[in-house]
Amino acid sequence: MPDATAATLQMQGISKSYGATVALENVTLTIGPGEVQALLGENGAGKSTLVKILSGVVRPDSGTLRLNGEVYAPGSILQARRSGVTTAFQELSLVQNLSVAQNLFLPSALKGIAGLSSTKAMHAAARDILERYGIGHLGVATQVSELALAERQRLEIVRAMQFKPSLLVLDEPTAALADVQWLFRLVRELQVQGTAILYISHRLAEIRELAQRATILRSGRSVSTVDLGAASDGDIFEMMAGHGVVRSTVVPLKRASRPRPVLVVNDLEGCNVKGVSLTVGEGEIVGMAGLEGQGQRELFRLLAGDGQPKAGQILLNGKLLRLTCPRDALRAPGGIAFVPEERKVEGIFASLSSANNITLPVLDRLSTVGLVSPHREARAAKAPAKEVDLSDRYLNFRIGNLSGGNQQKAIIARALLSGAKTLLLFDPTRGVDVATKEAIYHAIRRHAANGGSVLVYSSELPELIALSERCLVMYGSRIVADVAGSDMRESYLVGLLTGNAQVADAVSH
Amino acid sequence: MNASPETLPSALAVVDQRAAAKTNPETVTAIMLLLATVLLIFGSKLISPALGSWEQVLTILTLGSFLLVAAFGQGLVILTGGLDLSVPGTFMLGGVLSAAWIGSGDVHLWFFLPTILLLGGVVGAANGLGVVLLKVPPFIMTMGMSIIVGSIALGYTGGSTLGAAPTLLKALMKGDTLGVPNIVLLILVFSIAGWLLQSRTHFGRNLYAVGCSPAAARIAGIPITRTLVLVYALSGIASAFAGALLTGYSNGATLRMGDAYLLPTVAAVILGGASILGGSGSFINTLCGVLFLSTVESVIAATGLDQGWRLIISGTIIVLAILIQQAQASGARPGLSRLFKRSSGQPKS
Repeated sequence: MPDATAATLQMQGISKSYGATVALENVTLTIGPGEVQALLGENGAGKSTLVKILSGVVRPDSGTLRLNGEVYAPGSILQARRSGVTTAFQELSLVQNLSVAQNLFLPSALKGIAGLSSTKAMHAAARDILERYGIGHLGVATQVSELALAERQRLEIVRAMQFKPSLLVLDEPTAALADVQWLFRLVRELQVQGTAILYISHRLAEIRELAQRATILRSGRSVSTVDLGAASDGDIFEMMAGHGVVRSTVVPLKRASRPRPVLVVNDLEGCNVKGVSLTVGEGEIVGMAGLEGQGQRELFRLLAGDGQPKAGQILLNGKLLRLTCPRDALRAPGGIAFVPEERKVEGIFASLSSANNITLPVLDRLSTVGLVSPHREARAAKAPAKEVDLSDRYLNFRIGNLSGGNQQKAIIARALLSGAKTLLLFDPTRGVDVATKEAIYHAIRRHAANGGSVLVYSSELPELIALSERCLVMYGSRIVADVAGSDMRESYLVGLLTGNAQVADAVSH
Repeated sequence: MNASPETLPSALAVVDQRAAAKTNPETVTAIMLLLATVLLIFGSKLISPALGSWEQVLTILTLGSFLLVAAFGQGLVILTGGLDLSVPGTFMLGGVLSAAWIGSGDVHLWFFLPTILLLGGVVGAANGLGVVLLKVPPFIMTMGMSIIVGSIALGYTGGSTLGAAPTLLKALMKGDTLGVPNIVLLILVFSIAGWLLQSRTHFGRNLYAVGCSPAAARIAGIPITRTLVLVYALSGIASAFAGALLTGYSNGATLRMGDAYLLPTVAAVILGGASILGGSGSFINTLCGVLFLSTVESVIAATGLDQGWRLIISGTIIVLAILIQQAQASGARPGLSRLFKRSSGQPKS
C-alpha cells in the first residue's frame, strides 16, 4: 500500500446514486505515481460511474477525492484536464465530423494565437503528436468519421495521453485494438515518467502484463484491492462475481455429414471485399478472425444488406438475395439478422425501454387491429430476454440507463426474437464482462442447436476457438483460410491473421 | 432491529428502483403543466373577476384546438428528429381552400374536405421526400415549402379575405351535442386517437426508433423512407385540418392565418417534455403543453395590453417554461448518454 500522502489519487468513501439507483457506494481507491492499477468488475458494477466521477462528467454525492494531496472536485472534463486527469473513454468521445487535428486540440483550437486558430500550425502540431505516439500514418486533416474504429480508439487514447496528465484513465482501451503492444509501450513510457494509470479492462491477460494491483468493484462497492501476483484468475473471477464462476466447457459437435448449407456466398466483391466465398450450414457456428481493417466489417455489412456488392452472389436457403437495405435481409425467407459492433450508435434506441428495444421488429405480431397490446409486448420480450439471461426487472428500464453488457444482451435478444435463422454477430462481446460473455455464448449455442446458423466475428481468438466449429480467416480483403478441428489453435491462427500462412504451417507441424 | 446496517441500504435501493420505473419524468412534466394551467386560470380571477369562468375555459379550449391539431403533426415530426416549419403555409392552405371551395354551404363538403386534407398530405409528403431522398435539412425543406404553398394560396385568393365558412365546420366549433360543447368532444376524440397512434401503433414506435438513432433503426429493419414520408404527410394533413377548423370558427379565412401557430406548435411539444433532438415525448404531454400555452395567451389577451407587449410577455413565458422543463429533465438523466446520443448523422435511405 503506497503512503497516503504520496498517492497521486486517493478516493475515500465515494458514493453516487442516479435517482433511485445506487451506482457507487463507499468506494475507496488509491493509486500511487507510476502505478498501473487495474479496475475490474462485471457490467453494472459501477466502473463507468467511477470513470465519470474521475473525469468530471458527474459529481459524487458524498466522499472525498484527493489528487496529489489536494482536494479534487472537477465540475467538467476540462476542469479535470486542468487538474491533471485525462480519460480515454470506452465509448470514444471524438467529434465525428471534425478532423483528426481538430479533435486532438478540442476545445483549445478555438483560441489560438491572437484569438485565431491557424490550420497550418495546428496540423503541424498534430502531426508532431501523432508521430511521437506512433500513429503518424493517420492524416491530420482526415475526418474522424472516415477512420476505422481501431484508429479512432488510438486517437482517443493519444488525445488523453498528450496532455501529460498526472492521472490517466483508460476505459477498455483495447476493446477495438488488434495491436495491443502499441498501447503497452506507451503506458510503460508514461509509467516511467511517474504518471498514475487507472486501467479498466476485462482482459485479465492484459491486466496481468501491465498492472501491479487491481481493485475489484462489485455492485457499486470496492470489494478489495489485490496484488495481482498473488491472486489467481479464479480468485479474481470469484471476487467479481461474488461466487465461483462456472466455466463452460466446449463439447465439439460430432457430425455425420456436412450440414445443409443455409447462407452461401459466391465470389462476392465490394469495397475492401475481394472474391469472398463462404458457406454457413444449418445449426453451424462459423467464426471469422481477422486483424482490424481486413475487410471483415465490410463483408458483414454486405451480408446484412447495408451496401450493395459490385459482383457475386448471396444465397439464402438456395434463393438468390438482392439486398438494398438491412430490412430486406431481415425479411428474406429464413431471415438474416445483424448485430453491429457500435451498440450505442447502431444498436440501442436509448430513450425506449429494453422491452421496446427487443420487440421493435415484431410489433405487428403483437398488435390487434393495428394497436400494440402492452401486455402481449411485455410477455413477448420475456422469452428472448431469458435466452440471453437478461433479468426481467431491466425490461421496463430505459435501455440508455443500463450497463453496456445488458444493452448488448437486449440487442441480441432482439435479433433472436426477429425470427431470423441466420445471425451475423460482429464482435458481440466487445467490452462486456465475463458473466455476460457466458450468457451470450449460451444464447449463440442454443440458437445453433435449434437449427439456426451463426457467422460470428470476434477480435478475441480464444473466444472464436471456444465458440465456433470452423473459423474463417480474413486477410487483405480475402478469406485466406478455413480452419477446423484441431487446427483451431491460437498460435496457428495468429500466423494466418498476419498473412504468414507458411509460418503458421511451420508452427502447426 | 432485524435488518443489519449492511443489508438495509441495498434493500432500500431495490424498492427505490421499482418506484423509479413507475413514476417517469414525463408524467411529472404533464402534472406540472396541468397544475400551472389551473393556477393560471384561478389566479387570473384575482386580476379580473370576469376571468376564470367556464366561458373562459371554453374559449381557451376552442382556441387551443387549432393548436392541438397542428401540434400533433409537429410532435410526430419532432419525434423523428425533424422539424416542420411548413405549418403556416399548409395551415393557410387548409383554411383558404375551405372558405373558397366549400363556401358557406355544405353541399360538397364530403368531397372537398377530404380533398383539402389530402392536398395537405401531398404537401407534407413532398417535404418528407425532400428530407429523405434529396437529404435537404428538414427546417430548410419545410420552410421553403411553407413559402411556396403560402404564395400559391396568396395568388389563388388575390390577397383578399374570404368571409365564408362551411356550416358543418361552424357547428363543429361552436355547437353542442347532448349539452357537451362539440369542441370538448373534438379535443377528447382527437387526443385519444393521437395518443393511440403515437404510443400504441407499430408506426408510432418506429417514429421513436428513427428519432433515437436512424442508424440503429436502419439495422433493425425499420422502413425509414416510408416512415419519414408518412410522418411529414400526417403533419401536412394535421395543419390543413387545423386551418379548416379555424376557418369554421372565425367564419372566414385570412392570409397569414397560420403564422401565429408555428412557434406554439414547437413550444407545446417541447414544453411537454419531448426532446427537440427526437426520440422521446408523448402526445398527452403535448396536450398539456397546448392547454398551458392557450391559457397563457388567453390571460394575456384579457389584460388589454398592446399587441407588442402581449407578444413579448407570451414569448418570455414560453422561453422560461421551456428552460424550467429542460432543467428538470436534464436533472433526471445522466449527462453523458445525452452527449453521445446524437453522434450519427442524417438518416440514410
